[in-house]
Amino acid sequence: MSLIQPASRSKSHQKSSARRTENDRIYANPLPIILIEPSQPSLLHKALGLLGVSVTQVLNPHCEGVLDVATRSVWVLNMKDAMVLWQRGFFGKGDLSRSEPSWLARQINARKQAKQGGMTSEEVTAKRRAERKQFKLDRAKAMAAAAAEAETAFQEGRVISTIYAPDGTRMIPSAATWKPNRAPETQPDKSASIAEESDDEDEEEPIENVEHLQLTLQEAFFLLWNLDCLSVSNTQTGDPLTLSQVWNAFQNAHVPSPKLVPSPEPPQHRCFDNPFLVNYVIYHHYRSLGWVVKSGIKFCVDYLLYKRGPIFAHAEFAIVVCPVYEDPADQESSPFNLQNASPFSWSWLSTINRVNSQVQKTLILSYVTIPARLRVSDAVLSSPACFAHYSIREVVLRRFIPARMRD
Amino acid sequence: MDDALEVPRPQLPTADVQEEDQSSGDEDGGLDWTKLPKLGTAARPVIPKRGEKDFEPAAGGGSGLQLHVLDRSREAMLEALRAGRSISSKSISYGLWYPAIDRVHVITARGIHFSTMGHSATRAPPSEGMGGEAVDAQSNSIPGSKLPKRLELLPEEALYLVERGALFCYKFLSNGLPLVDSPNFEMTSPGAPMSVQQAFAEMTGRDGMTLERYQVYAYLKRLGFILMRAEPPTAEYPVAALTPLLSNRPLTQPQTFRGKLTTLFSRFASNVLSVFRLSRRSDWWKHLQLSRYRTSADIFQSLRFIPCTYSVPLPLPSVSEGKQASSSKALPFALSASPYKVFFHVYKPSTPFRKTAPPAPDFYVVVVNARTTPMPSIQELTALFDILPVMPLPPPRKRGVQPAVKNPPNSPPTDDPATKAPPGISRPSSTPGWPLSALTFLRRLLFFLPFFCPTPPAQADKLASKPTRPPNPFLALKTGKKTIVIAAVDSGSISFFRFGQGVFEEWPMA
Repeated sequence: MSLIQPASRSKSHQKSSARRTENDRIYANPLPIILIEPSQPSLLHKALGLLGVSVTQVLNPHCEGVLDVATRSVWVLNMKDAMVLWQRGFFGKGDLSRSEPSWLARQINARKQAKQGGMTSEEVTAKRRAERKQFKLDRAKAMAAAAAEAETAFQEGRVISTIYAPDGTRMIPSAATWKPNRAPETQPDKSASIAEESDDEDEEEPIENVEHLQLTLQEAFFLLWNLDCLSVSNTQTGDPLTLSQVWNAFQNAHVPSPKLVPSPEPPQHRCFDNPFLVNYVIYHHYRSLGWVVKSGIKFCVDYLLYKRGPIFAHAEFAIVVCPVYEDPADQESSPFNLQNASPFSWSWLSTINRVNSQVQKTLILSYVTIPARLRVSDAVLSSPACFAHYSIREVVLRRFIPARMRD
Repeated sequence: MDDALEVPRPQLPTADVQEEDQSSGDEDGGLDWTKLPKLGTAARPVIPKRGEKDFEPAAGGGSGLQLHVLDRSREAMLEALRAGRSISSKSISYGLWYPAIDRVHVITARGIHFSTMGHSATRAPPSEGMGGEAVDAQSNSIPGSKLPKRLELLPEEALYLVERGALFCYKFLSNGLPLVDSPNFEMTSPGAPMSVQQAFAEMTGRDGMTLERYQVYAYLKRLGFILMRAEPPTAEYPVAALTPLLSNRPLTQPQTFRGKLTTLFSRFASNVLSVFRLSRRSDWWKHLQLSRYRTSADIFQSLRFIPCTYSVPLPLPSVSEGKQASSSKALPFALSASPYKVFFHVYKPSTPFRKTAPPAPDFYVVVVNARTTPMPSIQELTALFDILPVMPLPPPRKRGVQPAVKNPPNSPPTDDPATKAPPGISRPSSTPGWPLSALTFLRRLLFFLPFFCPTPPAQADKLASKPTRPPNPFLALKTGKKTIVIAAVDSGSISFFRFGQGVFEEWPMA
C-alpha cells in the first residue's frame, strides 16, 4: 500500500491482485469529499433529483492547515487529516517522505526489521548502491590490469586484445557476470548488533510522529475554494483565515517581504502574472480534467500528471508551465521574473525532453496567457473571477526520429 | 539501432557508400575505419560494428599500444578517404546548371531518382548566343506556339545527386557552345564541368536552399523519404493534395434525425445555460454547491471553466506587422515574418507517390538554424497549426490488433463545440459555481420521454467508440491533433522535434 514498499518479484499473482484491490479500496475517492447517494432513492428523491435539488449526502472531512509563508506551503499537522488528503486525491506530500507521509510507518518498520535482523528498503537500496560502486571499481581494476598486460606484450612485439584473454574468456567483468565478494556480509551484522543495543533502550517508548503534510498553495486553494474541505489559519494568531484573506495571503506569499508572516491584506499591486495565479490556473485545469497533479521538479518540469495517482501507475505526462504575456509591456513592468516566460533555447528543450523521454514521460508545454492590463482591468483580480480571463494552450513535444518513422 | 535502419538500400551504387557511412555516425562517435573493407574488394559493403571504448586513459598518458591502435585507425581513415571515387558512366545522369534561374536542366536522366525528383518546366528554346539565359516561359512566349518542356532540378535536388555521384553537372556558360541535342554531347561539353565542391559553393543559398535545409533534405533523402517543397517555387511546381481526411470528417458525424435533434437540443440547452450563467456569475467567492452533484465526475466537469483552446485567437505582439500575402497560400500574418514556415513536405517511403500529383504529405517539416533561431513562440506555433490539417491518429501499437480503432479516436475532435464542454470554452466569463442544474434538469426531464433518450455529449462520445474498444486516450494525448516537425540544425547536427497541438480538454480522465 505504501509507495516505499519495494515490489518484490517473488510475490504471487494472487498477492499482487489482492494488493490492487486493497489499493482500489483505499484510494477509491478522487476527491476528499465523498458524495453518498441514497441507496434506495424514493420517488420523492427522484422528483427532487429531477429538479436538480440535493439528493446526495456530502461527507466533508473539514481538514485544517496552517499557512507557512517561508516555505510557501500549507501544513496539515493533524495526521488524520493528512491521510484523508493523501488517500483521496493524493494531495500534498509528507515533509519527511518522498510523497506519502510515511515517516512514522517507516520508523516502526525499521525498528521491527532491526529486531528481526532484516533490512528496510532504504538499507536494501544503500546496499545495492554500495555493490554497484564496488563493481565499477573492480571493473576499472581489471581493465587497468588488462591494459598493463597488453602494454608489456606490445613492448615484446605482440599485439593482444585488452578485452579477451588468450583463451577467449572475457577478462573484464560485466554487470551480468560480476558477483559481490563475501566481505560486505560482515558489515550488516555489526550494524545490526549496534541497532539492537540501541533498540533495547528505547523499546518501550513509542515513536512520536514528527511529520506533517505539506500542501502547495495551489493544492490548498483548490481544496479550499472549490471543495470547502480545508481551512487555513494564520501561523501567528491561529485564527482561521476567510476565503478572501487566503486569496490575498497566497498572492502575497510570492511578494518578497522581510517578515515571514501571512499578510491577509490586499496586495498593493495586484498582478495577473503573480506566480500563484499562473500556477493555479494550470493546476486547476489539469485537476478539473481528473488528473492527479504532482510536482515535477525531479524531471526539470513544473508538474507531473498521473492518471489515477502515483500509487497506481507512473506519471504519463510532464508539464512545463510557459507564461505568455499578451502585452509584452506587462512583462517589462512586472515585479515577478517568471520562469520560461521567454522561449527557451534548443539545448534546454533537448535537455528537458531527453530527461523526460528517458523516464517514459511525454513533455507538454502548457502556455498560459497572461491577460493584458490594457484589456482587463486589475479590479478583476480582487476575486477568483480573474481565472476565466486566462487561457491555456498545450503543445505536445516529442522527438522525431526519421529512421523509425519510415513505415 | 538507427544504424541498422540506415544500411544502404540494395539499389544504391557502391561508389557512394562512404557518405552513407559518415551520415550514419550521427549518434555516437566516429566510425572504425580499420574495419572498412578495402574499396572495391567487397561488392556489397556492410557498416562495421564499432570497436570497444577504452574505459579510462592509462595513468601517465598514452601507452605505446594505445598510440599504435590510434595510428592504425587514423591511417585506415586517411586511406579510405584518399581513394578516388569512381562512377559508372552508364548510370550517371547529366545536367546543366543555370545560375541565373537557380535550376539544373537534366539533359540525360538515368536511374530511379527522377521518379521522385525534379519537375518539368516550360522554357523558351535557347536563342543563339544568349543560350539558356532561359527567361521564364510566360514572359516571352509566343501565343499559340507549343513551348518545349524540360526536366529541371531544384538546387537541393541537384546538389544531392551531385554529392552522391549520380549526376554530373556542367555550368552553363553564356559564351559557350550552343547546347546541341546530340547523343554524344558527353564528348562535346555543353558548359564548364563542375566539381562537387563547386556545386556546393554555387548552389547553397540559392532559391531558399540554405545549408541547413540542404542538410535536412539530404539526411531524410538518404533514409528513403521523399521530399517536396511546401511552397511551390514556381507555378509549374506540383502542389500537394489537400488532406483527404478533411472531406471525410463530416461523415463520421451521425447525421440521423435523432443526432440532429440531439445537437439542436444541446445547442439550445447551452444557450439557455449561458443566460442562466450570466445571471449567476456574480459570486465567485462561493464554494461549489457540492450536494448538487451525484458523482465526483460531475464535480470535475463543473470545475472546467478555464478556457483551454486554440480557437480563441491569440493576441499577436510584434510579429503582426509583416503583413504580406506571401505566395499562393493565404498564410497568417505572424507566419510571414517568422522563420517558422513549413518548408518541406515529407512522404514516407511507403506512401504511394506520383511526382506530378503528390498526395497529402505525411509530415510537414520546418527547418531552422538552432544557433540563430530560438524555439518557436506560441504565436508561431499557433500560426503553424492553423494551416495544418487535422491528422489521423497513428494506428495503435500491435497489441491485440484493432485497426478499426482508427476512427473512434478521431471522433471527439469532430468539432462539436456546442455539445462539448459548454462551460467557458467560448465564453471566458463563466462561473465555477454554476451547477449542472439546468442542463441536467433538461436532460433528466428528457429521460422520461422514452423515444428521445439523449445522451450527454461526453458520454455520447464514449458510447460511439464503445463497439470496438474504448480508445486509449494516451495515444491521442501524446499525438495531438495536428503535428509539425521542426528540424533544428546546429552546425550540421539535426535534431527533429514533433510539436503537437494538445487536446487534453477533449480527453478528460474523470
